[in-house]
Parts: sequence; C-alpha cells; structure tokens
Amino acid sequence: MRKWTTALVVVLAVVLAAGLIGCGEKRQATIKIGINAPITGDIPKVGEGTKYAAQMWLEGIQAAGGLQVGDKKYPVELVIEDNEAKAESAVKANTKMITEDGVLAIIGPQASKQAIPAGGVANDYQTLMISPWSTNPDTTKNRPYVFRGCFLDPFQGPVVAKFIKGEFGFSKAAVLYDVASDYPKGLAEFFKKAWEEINGPGSVVAYESFTTKDTDFSAQLTKIKDSGAEFLFTPQYYNEVALIVKQAHELGFTQPIVGSDSWGSAETVKLCGPDCYGLFFSTHYAAAGAQGATKEFIDRYQKKYGYVPDDVAALTWDSIRLVAQAIEKTGGLTGDLKKDRQAVRDQMAKIKDFAGITGNMTFTEEGDPIKCAVIVRISDKGEFEFYKQVCP
Amino acid sequence: MGGSDLNQPMLKPVLIKRLRDFFAPVPALAWLAGILCAVLIEYQWGDALAVALYLPKVPPLFGATLVLKQPLLFPWAMLFVCLVYGVPIVLIGRLTAGPANRAAAALGRMPVWVSVLLHLLLLYIALHIWTETSDYRLQVAKLIMIAVMLTLSLNVINGYMGEFSCSHPGFMALGAYMASVFSLLLFKADRVFGAPVLPEAWGPYFFPLALAAGGMAAALGALVVAIPSFRTRGDYLAIISLAFMFIVKSAIENIDAIGGPRGLGGQPHWSTLPAVFAGMSLCIWIINNFVRSTLGKALNAVRDNETAAEAMTVNTRRTKMVAFLFGAFWAGVAGGFYAHEVRHVTPGGFGIQNLAEVLAMVYFGGLNSVVGSIVGAVSISFLSEILKPLLLYKWIVIPLILILVMIFRPTGLIAFRDFDPRRIVGPRR
Repeated sequence: MRKWTTALVVVLAVVLAAGLIGCGEKRQATIKIGINAPITGDIPKVGEGTKYAAQMWLEGIQAAGGLQVGDKKYPVELVIEDNEAKAESAVKANTKMITEDGVLAIIGPQASKQAIPAGGVANDYQTLMISPWSTNPDTTKNRPYVFRGCFLDPFQGPVVAKFIKGEFGFSKAAVLYDVASDYPKGLAEFFKKAWEEINGPGSVVAYESFTTKDTDFSAQLTKIKDSGAEFLFTPQYYNEVALIVKQAHELGFTQPIVGSDSWGSAETVKLCGPDCYGLFFSTHYAAAGAQGATKEFIDRYQKKYGYVPDDVAALTWDSIRLVAQAIEKTGGLTGDLKKDRQAVRDQMAKIKDFAGITGNMTFTEEGDPIKCAVIVRISDKGEFEFYKQVCP
Repeated sequence: MGGSDLNQPMLKPVLIKRLRDFFAPVPALAWLAGILCAVLIEYQWGDALAVALYLPKVPPLFGATLVLKQPLLFPWAMLFVCLVYGVPIVLIGRLTAGPANRAAAALGRMPVWVSVLLHLLLLYIALHIWTETSDYRLQVAKLIMIAVMLTLSLNVINGYMGEFSCSHPGFMALGAYMASVFSLLLFKADRVFGAPVLPEAWGPYFFPLALAAGGMAAALGALVVAIPSFRTRGDYLAIISLAFMFIVKSAIENIDAIGGPRGLGGQPHWSTLPAVFAGMSLCIWIINNFVRSTLGKALNAVRDNETAAEAMTVNTRRTKMVAFLFGAFWAGVAGGFYAHEVRHVTPGGFGIQNLAEVLAMVYFGGLNSVVGSIVGAVSISFLSEILKPLLLYKWIVIPLILILVMIFRPTGLIAFRDFDPRRIVGPRR
C-alpha cells in the first residue's frame, strides 16, 4: 500500500510540474487561419502541397513578426485539420475550426467533393472560406462567404478548344474521359460544347468514356483512332494520363494529345516518360521558365521540400495570400470574431487585380476569380514549359 | 452488470471488486441524474473553470483532441474532466441511488414503455445541454448516432443472420439519394428539380416520410440483391453484395437527373438533434424487438444450422429475406439522416472505405448484440474523431486496436448478449 501511495504522489507531482510549465504561455490576440486539407485518404499528395504551401507562408509571416492589421501586428497561427478526403470529415473539420478554434478564415478543402459540403458550413457560420482547387460551380454558388482560387471548367473548356483551333487548325476532335469522376466529366462536356460551337455539330467524332480505376483503354482508343480524329483531348489525372498516352502510342495513334490542369502534377512526367514529351495542356501556372514572384515561390518551395510545387501548392499560396490581404485591408480587428469575419469577407469581395503567382485575379459576384489560363508544353526534358497565356 | 466473471474472483484486485460493490446498487436513473448534473455544471461553470485551469476553451470531446495537440495541457484537461464529469456523475449517481431505486421500482409497476420513455427523455435533455455549448460537439454527436443506426442495421445481417453482406454503403446511398430527392423535389428550390411543390415550412413534418421513402428504396434494392443471391451462401453472397454496392455507385454516377458524379446538394438541414435522437431510439427499439421476436430467434437458428432450422419448420428463405430487407431499410434511413446532415452526397462517398468503417464498427462492438453495435459505433467514431491530430498514425492506431480486439475477443467486445430494456431501467437489488 505504501509503495502505491508513493508512486501516486510522484505521479501527481510530475503532472503538476508539467502543467505549470505548460501554462507559461499567455493568452494573446492571435489571428487564426484554418487549413482544411486531405492529409490522409485518397489524395495525400494534394494535402501535402496544401500544408507545405501554408506553412511556408506562415514562416514568412513569422519572420516579419506577424501580420500588420491597422496599427497593430498580430501573430498568426495555422489550424491544420485533416479531412481524410471525406465529405463528412471535411464538414466536421470546418465546424470545429469555426466554432471551437475560432478561425478568422478557412483555406480549403481542395476537392469539390469535400469543398461543396464544407462550403455550406462556412456559409452558415458566416466565415470566409476559399477553396484553392475546387472547380465545381456548386462550391461557391449562392454562397456569399465562399470563394475559390482557380478558374472554372466552363472557362477552361473553351480555352483548350480555342487554343487547338488557333494552333493546329484541326476540325475533328476526340474526347476520352472518366464518366464516374465529376471533374473530367464536367470538363469533357464543356469542351465538347465549345468545340462544336467553333466547328459545327458532329465535329467531336469520338466521345468515349471509362470508369475510375480502369487501366485498359485499348477499346476506346481503337475507336478513337478509327474515327479519324485529328487530336485527342483527355482531362484526366496523372496516373491515367500516363496509361492513356502510352496505350495510344502503342496502338499507333500519332496525333497530338491535349490535357487540362489535372495533368499539372510532377507525377505525370515521372509515370509517362518520353511518351508525354511535346504534349500540351492548359493549367494555372507553368513552373519552368517562370519569372518574378512565381519563380521566387517555386525556388523557395523546391529548396525547402525538395520538389517543384504543383498547381495545388501554387493555388493554396495565392489563396492564403488573398486571405491575408483581405485581413490587412480591414484596417484593424475588433476582437469580436463575428464582426471581424464579416469585415474580412467584405474586403475579400472587393479585391481587384490581385497579383497572384497563378495570374491576376478579380472576383465575380459568385466568388469565382476572373483569371488567365496558361497553356503548358511538356518539354523534351520533361519540364512544364510556359507556351502561351489565354485570358478571358 | 457484473456476475459474468465469477469463475475467477480471486484474480481480481480487491480495489476493483470494492468499486464494483460500491456501484452495484446504482440504477440507470441515478446515473442519468449524475450525467444531467455534470452537463449542467459544465453549461453553467464550464467556461470559468476552463479559464481557471489554463485551458483555451471548454474541451469539446473530453479534452482528448486538445491533449494530443498540446500534451502539456494533459493534467489540466484531466482535472477538468474529473471535476466536471467524473466527480458529479460518481457522487450524484451514488448518492441518489436509494431514491432512484425506489423510483425505478415504482416505474417498474407501470408498463415498461413509460419507464423507457422517461429514461430516454432524461438522456435527451442531458445530450441537448451537452451539445448546446458547442456546435462541433453537436455535429459529432449526430454523426455518431447515425453511425449507431448503420451499425445496428448491418449487425442484423452480419451478426444475427450470419451472412457477410457488403452492400451496406449501397443501401445507404439509395436511402440518402431517395430521401434527398424527396425533400428537394417537394420542399426546396433546387437546380436539378426546380421550384418546390409544397411550402418549405411544412418540410420538417414530412421528414419522417422522406426517411421512410429512403428506407423503402434501400429495402427494394435489397430485394434485388436477395432474389438471385440467396441461393448462395457465405463467400458468394459477400461477392454478390459487393457487386451490388458497385452497381449502385455506377448507376447513380450515370443518372444525370440526380447530379451524376457531381453529387446532389442543397438538402435542407433537417437532421436536428431531436430528429436524429428520435430516429436512433426508434431504430434501436424496433431492431431490438425484431431480434428478440420469434423471427429473430428463427434467424439465429438459420445462422447456426440452416438444415436443422428448416426441419424445425422455420421458413428459412422467408426469414432471411425479411431480415435482409429489414437491415437494408434501416441503412436507408441512416443514409437519409446522413444526407440531411452533411447536405451534399456524391456516389463516390459510398464506397469501400465506408464499408470498411461500418464493418469495423460491427465486428469491434460485437456480433449478434444490440449493445455491442452501440458500443462499437460510438467507440470507433469517437476514436477516429479524437485521434485526428495523429494524422497518418491514426490509421495505424485504430486498426491496431481492432486487431487486438479480434485476438482477445474474436467475436467483438460485447457479442451475443441480449439487450433487455426492462433490466436496464429497472432497480438494482
């Protein structure tokens, strides 16, 4: 019994001491920014890019001693929540950050599947949320508190169509897309519409689909080859791009293959290899040959984390800077979270010609940015080379 | 409680035995009184106490998340939980044991539903006050209750019927979509279906109907699986039901009228705490009655030996069919609740991952047991919520716990145990 008592006393003493050390920090007015990212789950690479970009931004702010709002410098804190690439978890994460952690604004979630439901929560609690990467119109539709950092598919589809028409003068298109995934499906539809507007009905000679996780595309590609299409548009993710391009070449399809911003991952070239050299895709920014602030961002990121940032990181970087600018522009925080959130949101809507590393942005009524797209060519060294800018 | 480990009393430390004896006479009513008191204390003085204990805020989930993020706050979080929950619950529970026992005995003379309803009401009030202070807590509580319904409904098939069914996310998707279509079509101006047919204010009263519609859709889906597949057993049924899950997913992806792969959003926020609580209580009550009925016993007979059951005049085919449809119905209802809580559903959200989670809850909690399902759903959901700060390691810790449970209790924590409300609400001693 005595032994037990001694042990108990020792444990209690340690615990108390630890507690006293722990409470050394003083409470202080900090600006909290929430990051709702898919750190585990299906798309961990996206979560990693988000987290890294945000942490890199925070370092810069900390080096500057905080965020200047009005005449006061506030320390900044990031609240990073994992949404596990699940809608339910994204919703819970937003609720937690807004009601428990008291964040001023939220960056994320990236994928539309999580961004749409999470945006509903942010809008209900009247807190600014900006999704850097979500392209689904529903994310921001009728939600004054929800913004996004990227252009939408109804813009990207025509951009690709016009670029190909102007560059190659083709008139017969083929499309291959994943029918079970919202992003490729939406973009394929917008592209088809735009292409048929330019070249008349029937100019999309092959419109083929497959289902997520399919790996053999020979049936569709044979059809595409036989249809006499002059090029193939495939708005797929990097793992499928490599398979599609390689299989197309094996089947003897030598025409150009064109992609969309989902190609913009470092993995595309890694998996695809020389087969992808010389191909074009539309995206948010080009890493190779970048200038000014964009180059600075890429160099810093590469030095710190060891690889060239993809578009998710770049868009997150822009989004978090947008939020920071909106906070700065409020001209002073009251300390009343509800009022401050409203003020930040109002300033966000007023931002004009924001100079982001993914292009200049001005927001529409819906919270969608008007910005330019970039056409990238995959160089013979496998780098994403700036080719052309297409503005609305 | 108690009495199950009589074969090895000598090995039990004296302290635990003493504690057991100390709490043995405390009936459910007294515990509820204690809980009620604890949440009231937190509601009234929680903030002040948190500030005094150097905590940033009242910890929403017993301080677990906070502790993982800032381990140095551990003693204060512990102290907070002890002062706010531990001490009042134990103290009030023990002190009111006498009167509560007399009250329970008095209630016992009335029909059992009166007593059960009273207990449920007390529990609801406690839950309401507890979730009042934090919307995050509220959301977690609601999603846990939805998980309880889902787990229970799967336990009917996998536990009581003994078949390994993998189509539960499919049923949930059917329910979620059907209920969503119902409420969007009738009560909400929406991009897909246009203007509402009925005024939106009527909506909440029709919510049960929407849920029932979702449940029926799921049951209908179950019928489609059941007719061809009940000629097979075991692994084959598992594969067919897995296929069904994918069929549902693909089908929804290809129907553009309900959003296709983009999903269906904008559902009204009808999954309020009272609604979900009522739904869950009803679900537990009905499923518990079902499995304790003649049909439920027949179901167990079919599981243990189909041929023998057939010989004992059990209509095996009908029994299995009814149970399967019944389980699917409740999965559909849970799906309806889910859709009206998260307010955006995508076909991709009802996949293998979802299946793995529900199965984990069922097998963790215990097969063939209503209490087990409740325990499994609550503990797995809760664990996965509080361990989030561990990020990737969370996916190592939870499976590890599951493996340990499977090693030491192969049928789950509380398997093969009857859930008797009469005994639970009744007096002790």
